[in-house]
Amino acid sequence: MDQEYFDRLAQAVVDGEADAAVQLVNDGLGKGVDPIDAVERGLARGIMKVGEDFGAGEVFLPELIMAADVMKKATSILDEKIKASGTPRTTLGKIVIGTVKGDIHDIGKSVVAAVLQANGYDVEDIGIDVAVDGFIQSVKQNNADVLGMSTLLTLPLQVMGEVIAAMKEAGLRDRVKIIVGGCPVTQEFAEEIGADAVGFDAADAVKKVGKLLGRS
Amino acid sequence: MKGFTGKLVGSLCPITDEECKKVHKAAVRVLEQGGMRCDDPRAAKMFEKVGCKVEDDGKLVKIPEKVIMDAFKKCPGSFTIFGRDAEGNNDIRIGDGEVHFATVTGRYLRDIRTGERRQATRADAVDGTLMADALENVHSLYKAVMWLYDEPKICNSQMLVGEMMKYTDKSMTWVYNTGAEHEVPDLIKLWQIAAGGEEALKKKPHVLGHVIANPPRVIDVNYTDWLMGFCDAGLPITVYSALMGGATGPATLAGMLVQVIAETLALVVQTQSYKPGHPLCFCSFNPAMDMRTGLWQFGNPEYGTVGAGISAMAKFYGVPCVGFTINDSCDTDEQAAYESALKNYTYALSGISLIWDIGGTAGFNYVDWAHMCIENEVAGFIGHYLKGIRIDEERLSVDEILKVGPLPGSYLREAHTRKWYREEFFIPKLSNRDFFESWERGHTDLLEKGKQQALKILDSHESPVPMDVQKQIDEYLNHVKKRDVGEADKPPKRKE
Repeated sequence: MDQEYFDRLAQAVVDGEADAAVQLVNDGLGKGVDPIDAVERGLARGIMKVGEDFGAGEVFLPELIMAADVMKKATSILDEKIKASGTPRTTLGKIVIGTVKGDIHDIGKSVVAAVLQANGYDVEDIGIDVAVDGFIQSVKQNNADVLGMSTLLTLPLQVMGEVIAAMKEAGLRDRVKIIVGGCPVTQEFAEEIGADAVGFDAADAVKKVGKLLGRS
Repeated sequence: MKGFTGKLVGSLCPITDEECKKVHKAAVRVLEQGGMRCDDPRAAKMFEKVGCKVEDDGKLVKIPEKVIMDAFKKCPGSFTIFGRDAEGNNDIRIGDGEVHFATVTGRYLRDIRTGERRQATRADAVDGTLMADALENVHSLYKAVMWLYDEPKICNSQMLVGEMMKYTDKSMTWVYNTGAEHEVPDLIKLWQIAAGGEEALKKKPHVLGHVIANPPRVIDVNYTDWLMGFCDAGLPITVYSALMGGATGPATLAGMLVQVIAETLALVVQTQSYKPGHPLCFCSFNPAMDMRTGLWQFGNPEYGTVGAGISAMAKFYGVPCVGFTINDSCDTDEQAAYESALKNYTYALSGISLIWDIGGTAGFNYVDWAHMCIENEVAGFIGHYLKGIRIDEERLSVDEILKVGPLPGSYLREAHTRKWYREEFFIPKLSNRDFFESWERGHTDLLEKGKQQALKILDSHESPVPMDVQKQIDEYLNHVKKRDVGEADKPPKRKE
């Protein structure tokens, strides 16, 4: 496949065109494109471009979130092929993220997930109202490097501490970094429950995750 | 307290009467075709009882237009939120052409004594309540602070409301806070103690309760608890949707209005089914999302415009409207000032009866008592604007004009001037009216003047609440503390 193909793939992410991206991915696979190339030379370039433009204040959350959705749909097809081939795709790190049990606020967590993705991380967004077990299962299944937990409310804060305790019990705490965030989360609270960092906004979360994984 | 009145109240309307009908029809389409998801079986029953179609095993209610219009027939067009003073000076009329201002809240504050920005405590709730009690243009209160960081989560709301009941006899408003098991009955008990008993509270409710739909299109469990709690206790309520344009609501102002009205209509039906004739009003709380951060934004023009639109729709249905304004600035600075002034004026012109804004910034994150004093003055400005120009024989002043002129005549020594200037001209307390050169030689800036006024209030203002009532509240808080955390309550002391 020529450069034009990968450019079109990147552009589909930039434009938030999920159907076009999926079509391109399937066409490419039919013609023997290496799925790792399709991610790295195509889709990832698109999401990184959106991330840069977002940082520069040229595009805004609707473009960013839609690009992240396209990325998720298209890479899920490619990841199956990559898994089957046995050669792992390299990313900056795998992150599992969700809003804790007792809270159905979705937006803040989704923004953080999209911005992390736009900065080269592989993000598994497990949604809202996630119970302790949901986090543990997903961290195991995805072999996550980082776990992110969010809440906008005060009472569900305690769930964050319960998840960290369960991570220890499951023997996962030593190899998984934990970042927390959301309106009522303070540095003191994060330290109290034994989290590794607080993301005070999306950009801060990217910075802190980079630090936790030794990338900055 | 008598609110601000005048010929400009209700003069601003961002949609025409014809357009109100279109918004109504659109909202009805949403409720008839899509309906509301109902997370609470008790709520589903309330809808079913008045003729709504319940589908999806009780989880979806579809609301026909006739049911909506029948519900409005039961709603009073205006009501009173009472003060707890014997004279009735603190009573406020909602929906009678008066505009009132109230405080807003924040999790953080500027310590008025040290200047430090820090988390709020229970002692701050006392200060915030006394401030609001003392200021002449603060007609009612929201939470004095959002959260007491020195109190346990489980009884945070109780300690906050208890302190507020001890230090003001002005009315207040309540929005669900923690969802803790005893929150609803405890707060109602505290309001009853403050009013002088269960029947006294029903007779003269001094609290406006908030019941909010969960956008998009969900009737929530917690708010159904509160709807029943408020109605049973006889407290008037405001029903609304707290949608955020571009996130939990559409990204057009008309679309935001349609969804807000649809969700509000659903709550009107729910309330009038549960307790026919219960007084209620609409409320504006509809930020658009900031497309950079995902945060709600209150300071933008669309917030004020949609609020004025909700006020127009409330008039269309014949019920009152109240609303939050607040602003986005993270400090008490120029941005906080212009955002609040523009929006409060827009709200007041649109005829919103009760406006929560005074003292807060940063989208419910930050309060500052110096800022509260400044905004108390801005409320006075707005109140003065609302009067418009009153035309009558004496004000037309023809006799005076004929008598005094031409030059060298002057109006300064005229009895007519002395009679009228205080009523017709606004006389600010804090705003700078200095001679330029005098100001250049030395002055106190506005925030510092606000701070001086706040310190004076905190130093001298006494609670109007009788000691025996304060004692009863302390006893109840002690009972709550013992029950919830197993220890005696230690309320903050005033002036050791």
